[in-house]
Amino acid sequence: MSPIAIIALIIGVPSVLLLAYVFARGSTGLRRYILTRIVLTLPMIFILATMVFFILRILPGDPVSSALGPKGTPEMIAHIRQTLGLNDPLIVQYGRFLWNMVTLRFGNSLVGGHRPIIDEMSERFPATLELIIPASILALLIGIFGGALAASKRKKALDFSLRIYSVIIYSLPVFWLGLILQLFFGVRLKWLPISGRIDAIIGTSLKTVTNIYSIDALISGNWPAFLSVLQHLVLPTITLGLILSGVFVRMTRINVIETLHSDYISAARARGIRERVLIYGHALKNAMIPVITLIGLQVAILLAGAVLTETVFSWPGMGSYLVERISARDYTAVQSVITVFAMLVALISLAVDVIYSLVDPRVRY
Amino acid sequence: MNRQRWFSIAAILVAASMIFAACGTTPTAAPTTAPVATEAPTVAAAPTATTAASNPDTIIIGTTDKVASLDAADAYATHDWEVIKNISDGLLTWKPGTTDLEPDLATDMGTISPDGLTYTFTLKDGIKFGDGTPLDATIYAAQLNRLLTIGPKCPNDVADTLAVPYVKSITAPDAKTIVFQLTKTIAFFPQILAGAPYTATDPAIFKADACNLFPTAPIYGVGAWYIDSYNPDEQMVLKPNPYYTGDLKPTAKQVIVRFYSDANTMALAVQSGEIDVAWRILSPDQLTQLKGVSNLTVGTINGGAIRYLILNHTMKPFDDPNVDKAIASVIDRNEIADTVYAGQVNPLFSMVPPGFLGATQAFDTMYTAPNIDQAKKYLEASGYSASNPVKIDLWYPPEHYGASTAAWMQIIKKQIEATGEAQVNLQAQEWSTYAPALTGGKSYGAGVLGWFFDYPDSSNYLDPFVFNRGEGTNVTLPASGSLNGTPINDKAKQLVDLLNQADSETDLTKRADLYKQAQDLYADLVVTIPLFYQAEHVVYQSYIKGSSSYASPETLNIGPNILFYYSLITKSSQ
Repeated sequence: MSPIAIIALIIGVPSVLLLAYVFARGSTGLRRYILTRIVLTLPMIFILATMVFFILRILPGDPVSSALGPKGTPEMIAHIRQTLGLNDPLIVQYGRFLWNMVTLRFGNSLVGGHRPIIDEMSERFPATLELIIPASILALLIGIFGGALAASKRKKALDFSLRIYSVIIYSLPVFWLGLILQLFFGVRLKWLPISGRIDAIIGTSLKTVTNIYSIDALISGNWPAFLSVLQHLVLPTITLGLILSGVFVRMTRINVIETLHSDYISAARARGIRERVLIYGHALKNAMIPVITLIGLQVAILLAGAVLTETVFSWPGMGSYLVERISARDYTAVQSVITVFAMLVALISLAVDVIYSLVDPRVRY
Repeated sequence: MNRQRWFSIAAILVAASMIFAACGTTPTAAPTTAPVATEAPTVAAAPTATTAASNPDTIIIGTTDKVASLDAADAYATHDWEVIKNISDGLLTWKPGTTDLEPDLATDMGTISPDGLTYTFTLKDGIKFGDGTPLDATIYAAQLNRLLTIGPKCPNDVADTLAVPYVKSITAPDAKTIVFQLTKTIAFFPQILAGAPYTATDPAIFKADACNLFPTAPIYGVGAWYIDSYNPDEQMVLKPNPYYTGDLKPTAKQVIVRFYSDANTMALAVQSGEIDVAWRILSPDQLTQLKGVSNLTVGTINGGAIRYLILNHTMKPFDDPNVDKAIASVIDRNEIADTVYAGQVNPLFSMVPPGFLGATQAFDTMYTAPNIDQAKKYLEASGYSASNPVKIDLWYPPEHYGASTAAWMQIIKKQIEATGEAQVNLQAQEWSTYAPALTGGKSYGAGVLGWFFDYPDSSNYLDPFVFNRGEGTNVTLPASGSLNGTPINDKAKQLVDLLNQADSETDLTKRADLYKQAQDLYADLVVTIPLFYQAEHVVYQSYIKGSSSYASPETLNIGPNILFYYSLITKSSQ
């Protein structure tokens, strides 16, 4: 089984279980809402994929000439275009593209080794997952606890500091922050590795199953590899996580402050409940509801941030793959990656809506 | 346990793992045992080092190149050829650090028939692939024939450039002899033969009827190394071929080629000690910075990468020879080299860089640039003046040849406009749009391009630009079945004839003389305008050494052919 199939199972099985649970326990309105969302997601992805397909072909540039440069004779260019099916009528290419999407084969890359896209994504997608999951967790931890802390110390030095932090960190360019961390922790202190997913030598001993190296290292009990993967994760995770944390700090702070003004909080306060319990036990829980929505919206930003983070850290994920292939006009790779990203965003957005209904029983669909 | 407590535990675990990772083993405390990738990983055997320095048996080489194909019948990229030449050998090869030829799998340099059309080689005894399979001439010839049969159908299509135009047939009359029948006499065929496409490939991996760009590892050849494992986006692990009988026996137990998507990250990696060697391609700014780092050596290889201006002689105003000559008269290459590159590139006054057979300074001799008065005379002869300036669209790709391109294209614009009788409209275009527009011969009239040879011979710096067809300069499109088109004028015909003669001339003195004449004509026709040639750079740690038994140990024995033999580098203990 390919790594991407394993990952699809890892993501898919819990998603299906969650849906089944919600269907079993949820209201009729919720069931109808979820079904509508699923049905609407399919044409949305279809329209997006179609737009990407045609926009890429409207853009000037040619993958074959681009790859061959001055060495490409007209005969070579014509021959390679023929081999890759680029001389076929556009409608034939479109039909082939749709079929490849439906069958999740995605076709072959148009540049470099002309490898199957599914193979390339099997190597790249797990790397991106391995980066964005801890980065999201870090962003949420900083964002939620930082926001709650700022709200609890409203208009005090800590509150101002955290608000300034959130503005500065949100406006920092990812590549700049990454470079500074690389220079300080990698080059100057030599504490942490600055590139790649695992140490070059230790990597030779890692047997990959899912291509999520931390999981593979755990499965095989290869502790040096696990440690190396964690070490390699630190700088990219901090870079991406910090950048994303700013918006969560602000959002959580505002929501906690608003909740603290609610009647039930005043009532609880009147009953003598301690302020810490009020904030972290009552207000934060309710303030989390809009934050969950924000998490769904941040997925697209997270993927965009991953593009830059992966490039800076030579992290071989989907983001750096997309950058490489856009500049090479690798149509099949670009349209496949964008379609997968769209599917991911749609899936997570649906999951957020479902979770929202579970977290807040007042929500009616 | 309530939900909040679970959340707290998860948060603590994540934070703890981050701190644990950050406080993990420091580079200096690392043990030195290297793992054997083919064996099942064991905790005890796996090393915990995080820098290259502490592993004397492993050499880690960083590169921003990517593997595009490992099939010798298909691969057409410098880095692919480097890997292929490290895992397999051909009949001839280049002496490390030079472009001088010597026998490799052949017993000698072979015999050439009097008409120059038949090359016969005898194979050495005892040659084996990395898995122990013997190689004989029959297998070798059959594998080489893939270049002529399936090669042209493979995606990277090296065969249509380096095999089909020259080789009619490859046969093995017996188990020791290989015979090449050529389509025409070509004096530089041995140089082509020494390249990666003509190395011996394993018939078990590379089948006769299919291209195999990314075979499953291990990949064996008859060279010093075999590919033990690879991930095209991360790294390739090479191990010594136990059956290797050649001269370049590896000293290290493994070489890891680490792929970087960003040159800046690679520069930081060599600076931090994550890799032993950074090889291709670092920018002038990065090199300047790395030169100042103790424990690092920057080796400079005067390679064959050139930059040149292409003028489309079928488009206005470049169909006017006076305009072409005026441009050739004003370009001050030294200003580009000094201002933009701080002397890290060298001015180029002929398409053939210094050091290659018959190389001259034809453009300098003919135009003595910068010569504004002469340029004005050319322009005025065509009716241009200050009130009626020639209008030139000059294109360049802003990223493909490095971020400095915009700076030196501005200098060229300024130099042309210094005549007072020309207006240059400088336009940037992203590479994937730029390349087909310029080389297609119909959209862009003038632009900049780069070139690196396919085989180290003067012919490869002249023929492609004169017989270039699509670029629309000197010959028309060829008729069906013909290799060369018709020259566009008498001088172009003379140039085509000279190059054809030079290509088939086996006497080196006569050949050099023909190339000299060709370069004069080339400059007169302003087929293209050579600008500068770039050195390649290899950056390595102080404990890495090249072999003193061969040329250029200071560049790790990488010579002008930019071929890096991994066997020749050694790593001293830290």
